[in-house]
Amino acid sequence: MENEEPRIGVFVCECGVNIGGYLDTQAVADYALTLPNVVHTKVNKFTCADSGQAEIQAGIKEHNLNRVVVASCTPRTHEPTFRACCKEAGVNPYQFEFVNIRDQCSWIHMWDWGGATAKAKDLVRMGVARSRLLEPLEESSVPVDQNVLVIGAGVAGMQAAIDFGDMGYNVYLVDKEPSIGGRMSRFDKVFPTNDCSICILGPKMVEVGRNKNINIMTYSEVTDVGGFVGNFEATILHKPRYLDTDICTGCASCQEVCPVEVPKEFNEGFGTRKAIYIPFPQAVPLRAVLDMENCIGCKACEKACEPGAIRYDQEPVYETLKVGAIIVAVGMDTFDPLPHNNYGYGLYDNVITTMEFERLLNAAGPTGGHVVRPSDAVEPTTVGFVNCVGSRDVNENIYCSGGVCCMFNIKNAQLLKEKRPETNHYIFYMDIRATMRGFEEAYNRARDLGVKFIRGKPVEITEKENGNLVVRVEDTLKGEIANVEVDLLVLGTGLVPNEGINEMGSILKLPRSADGFLTELHPKLAPVDTTTDGVFVAGCAAGPRDITYSTAHGSATAGRATRLLSTGEAPIMGITAKINEDACVVCGVCVDKCPYGVFEIVGTNGDRHINVVEALCKGCGTCVTACPTGALEQSHFKNDQVLAQVRNVFVYGGE
Amino acid sequence: MAEATGTTGTEEWQPKIVMFCCNWCSYGGADSAGMGRFQMPPTVRVIRVMCSGRMDPVFILNAFLEGADGVIFSGCHIGDCHYVSGNYKATIKYKFLKAMVNELGLEDERLKLDWISASEGERYAQVVTEFTEQIKKVGPSPLKPEGVI
Amino acid sequence: MEIGDCYVGWATDEDIRTRGASGGLVTAMLAAALEKGLVEAVVVLKKLGEFEAVPVVTSDPEEVKAAAGSMHSVPIVLSRYLEYGTKVALPAKPCDARSTIEQAKRGQVDIDTTYIVGLNCGGTMHPAMTRKMLETVYKLDPEEIAGEEIDKGKLIFETKDGKEHAIKIDELEEEGYGRRESCQYCAVNIPTMADIACGNWGVIGDLAGKGTFVEINTEKGIAILENAIDAGAVEITPADDKGKVIRAKVDGAMMKVAAAANEKYLAPIEGSHLDYYMNALKDCIHCGACKTVCPVCACGETAKCTEFSSAADTYKMSLFHLVRFVHLMDSCIGCGQCTDVCPADIPLTHIYQRFAVPMQEEFEYKPGMDMTTPPFFGVDLIEEGH
Repeated sequence: MENEEPRIGVFVCECGVNIGGYLDTQAVADYALTLPNVVHTKVNKFTCADSGQAEIQAGIKEHNLNRVVVASCTPRTHEPTFRACCKEAGVNPYQFEFVNIRDQCSWIHMWDWGGATAKAKDLVRMGVARSRLLEPLEESSVPVDQNVLVIGAGVAGMQAAIDFGDMGYNVYLVDKEPSIGGRMSRFDKVFPTNDCSICILGPKMVEVGRNKNINIMTYSEVTDVGGFVGNFEATILHKPRYLDTDICTGCASCQEVCPVEVPKEFNEGFGTRKAIYIPFPQAVPLRAVLDMENCIGCKACEKACEPGAIRYDQEPVYETLKVGAIIVAVGMDTFDPLPHNNYGYGLYDNVITTMEFERLLNAAGPTGGHVVRPSDAVEPTTVGFVNCVGSRDVNENIYCSGGVCCMFNIKNAQLLKEKRPETNHYIFYMDIRATMRGFEEAYNRARDLGVKFIRGKPVEITEKENGNLVVRVEDTLKGEIANVEVDLLVLGTGLVPNEGINEMGSILKLPRSADGFLTELHPKLAPVDTTTDGVFVAGCAAGPRDITYSTAHGSATAGRATRLLSTGEAPIMGITAKINEDACVVCGVCVDKCPYGVFEIVGTNGDRHINVVEALCKGCGTCVTACPTGALEQSHFKNDQVLAQVRNVFVYGGE
Repeated sequence: MAEATGTTGTEEWQPKIVMFCCNWCSYGGADSAGMGRFQMPPTVRVIRVMCSGRMDPVFILNAFLEGADGVIFSGCHIGDCHYVSGNYKATIKYKFLKAMVNELGLEDERLKLDWISASEGERYAQVVTEFTEQIKKVGPSPLKPEGVI
Repeated sequence: MEIGDCYVGWATDEDIRTRGASGGLVTAMLAAALEKGLVEAVVVLKKLGEFEAVPVVTSDPEEVKAAAGSMHSVPIVLSRYLEYGTKVALPAKPCDARSTIEQAKRGQVDIDTTYIVGLNCGGTMHPAMTRKMLETVYKLDPEEIAGEEIDKGKLIFETKDGKEHAIKIDELEEEGYGRRESCQYCAVNIPTMADIACGNWGVIGDLAGKGTFVEINTEKGIAILENAIDAGAVEITPADDKGKVIRAKVDGAMMKVAAAANEKYLAPIEGSHLDYYMNALKDCIHCGACKTVCPVCACGETAKCTEFSSAADTYKMSLFHLVRFVHLMDSCIGCGQCTDVCPADIPLTHIYQRFAVPMQEEFEYKPGMDMTTPPFFGVDLIEEGH
């Protein structure tokens, strides 16, 4: 096959008038026939249509073609179509070459018939030259381990775990916190339905706890991931809880006797917890955890613990898990207004964030559900809510947090108004983004209840002696400057990438977008896939989104991953790096350049050589560029194949 | 083969530029330019590789020797690389090449690095148009072999 | 003994002490390293004639001892002689040491098993040039030469009849003779990058001419010297401060001379750079000798520079050289070998240096001085602000 003389067919697409209307397709085809090894050309009306594909296949048969060049649109959308077409007719799909004369000629040189035609000829000549050197490639596959790792046990991760568990796959659900539940467990009510958050999340948490196929690993972190699609090895750090979770019953008698009180993280720092504590009443697993940093070693808990679960000498434990697929659902953080004291946060007592407000609203929160302001514990009668704090702001983050902050501010103002109709509440907004189902209705309900919406971004917050705040804002609808006095100001802080996202991205070799969130494989058509095969992303790890979206995402990742697991084997792309050991001098530059750990120097002394784990290779070719000897080659983008294009940009004109 | 020329046949000299695009971003940017019908001079010949990290100095140097009046090196914006850090590595190679082109005495304007995302069709057209104008000012490459078009 | 210590030392064996230069310390140290099993092999220089020697690898201490006597050769590529990981001691001029370190970065030499015994160097002369110079300038028969020496700026040849013939180096170099051009502008005279730096600069008083000044640069440097002392092959005494000052002064003077030569040979190109380079490279016959001898190139027979270019190319410049310009930007040490071997007499080292030096300055990276990774390997350069 490899030494066969190339017999190339060139198919020039008119794409209706998209190409044919702006350049001379017949002239391009005629020119192609003058090129070496081209034995057949044809102009098609629509090459990608059934009729066009039939013409390719007929051409292959009649002219015994072993290379096919299609000059039409972009490989980014149509390469799979033509590869499959070639394969059906007996031409190796990797001996198909795509030349783009639509996006790169007809559409961008619409008023230059001659220039577009000449350029199309150049591009076809380059493509034909490359096709001559293309080699047949086979896609190989690797077996897929049937276990799954879900990182992050928020609502997205839990949903994914439940779906996997229900489908019969063994799931490791890892979370760094002592309980599953994630962010949602801290909300009071959720928009737009105003359901009690923990009331609807609690049953889901219990479902996770009961599912026999789910291994919950709380208070644990993923510290390293090696391997590749279908065959990952994840290292899990189990942080010591300083008690035996098999013995602990979650009775909480330890936390009753513990004399140490520290700010309670679960309540956003409001109120206190003990050094040994149950994270929250609905925690799963319902087990205590000892915070050794704050423990004074009085051993009161040990005495109080009837079953005898306390283990002061517990050490961190590392465990290695073999899994076939990984779901990344590490969630988000909310924007921190403290460093820049946005809207006086950190300067004035009565400026708080939404997450803090959620805990004040919550019956299990520090105030038992009574909203009071921090300066004097008085119930506020006028509350201001600021939207877009840290979002849509060139000084902080330019992106919109997906309407999440609009909606929780609307929801919270509404809740206050419902509870005490005589009170007054303001929402300072730029645009209300109530885009999803039921959101607009919630917005209207708030307006109907009398929540006042002022369209403007507050420019200045001043504190009065009584602790009240004056919000200076331009009401852009009225074109007036307003000074609104409020008792309490709540900042609708936007969603930002989780603080651990960079580390997680590095561990899993996932790129981050400019906004700092993980990047999906395609924002529209592959929204939960990632550039690392076998790794999927759910929920807020890949951008700001609400609970509905996150839950759907969780299920979507389970579906996508199951597609991989159920077939039992994962395909390996054909465009990977290959090494010619005879030419390799083991300089090791490829080891440094590869972001995926494909290369490793193995052996000693005279046996030193580079070990290539092809399954890890994503086909970027960076190593091939760095390799000084040319011992490394990227299949389908070999040095001579690309150089063939470079060397056919120009021809001797003879003029 | 005289008709297979890169020029439009009009009097004004049109440069011929070789542009390397990565599959994920700048090639996507070229597609977006097409979809958006952003018009630009027909001066650029695009060679697609998977990542800007694959853009070998050998390719760029060979393009100049073949007669390229200019070469554009393009990929995903820094931080957006589909392959984590290929564009960082491309930047290092570019620095080497840039220093080399300068010492060699080839005009600095002939080699350009630009990051273009898949959504930046208009910017792609702008980069091509501006670079073409820039090359027109410096004229045909002194490395161009006699008689090639 | 600690890193940074300076001593003056000599061989205890009288034969080595008298035959070897400066008290035979280096020879004795290398032989002891073999005898005591610190290393498995030693590189020695085997004389081919009065002006020429080739590196030879030996495991025989007697051969090491027999090779005593100062002789310079060109940098060698250890990996072509030895399997990776071989415990070896290598006497090395600064350029030898630097190329060895560059090879280590490229996985060709195991730096942990390679003891680099550095030798001070003020420059070397090309054998063919030396013969010509003797005949035309000194008016001497090259076969009559018994020894050579540099003293007080003069190049002195001793003939077999015992007479000395001295001419100022400046004058010789003005005429195009003397040291290799690359040596003339080389500013690295003391091999600080070697494990141990040896030489006769700074040996004063009674010991002058009878001892070798050594500076310990690494743990391996301590190991090889202590090994020789323990074996009873070498004796040392701490270097006195005056000697250290003198050694630094000699180095400083050499660097000044180098800087002047640098301005002369690497003066900015006047006129079109492209014309200059096209003209300089037009005679290249694509023999590849420059690449073969290049001591910092890690490639074997297959390399990108040769793979995609051919003598039949009709380009205005050689793709082979263009690729090599890029590949050597962060590694060229300017050793001069490519110029030496070029059959078309192209001043390749100058050309490669013109491309490499600005890049190395920009990255604040001097190849071969330590195990810092070359810029081309690095990926964090942007974060570091480059």
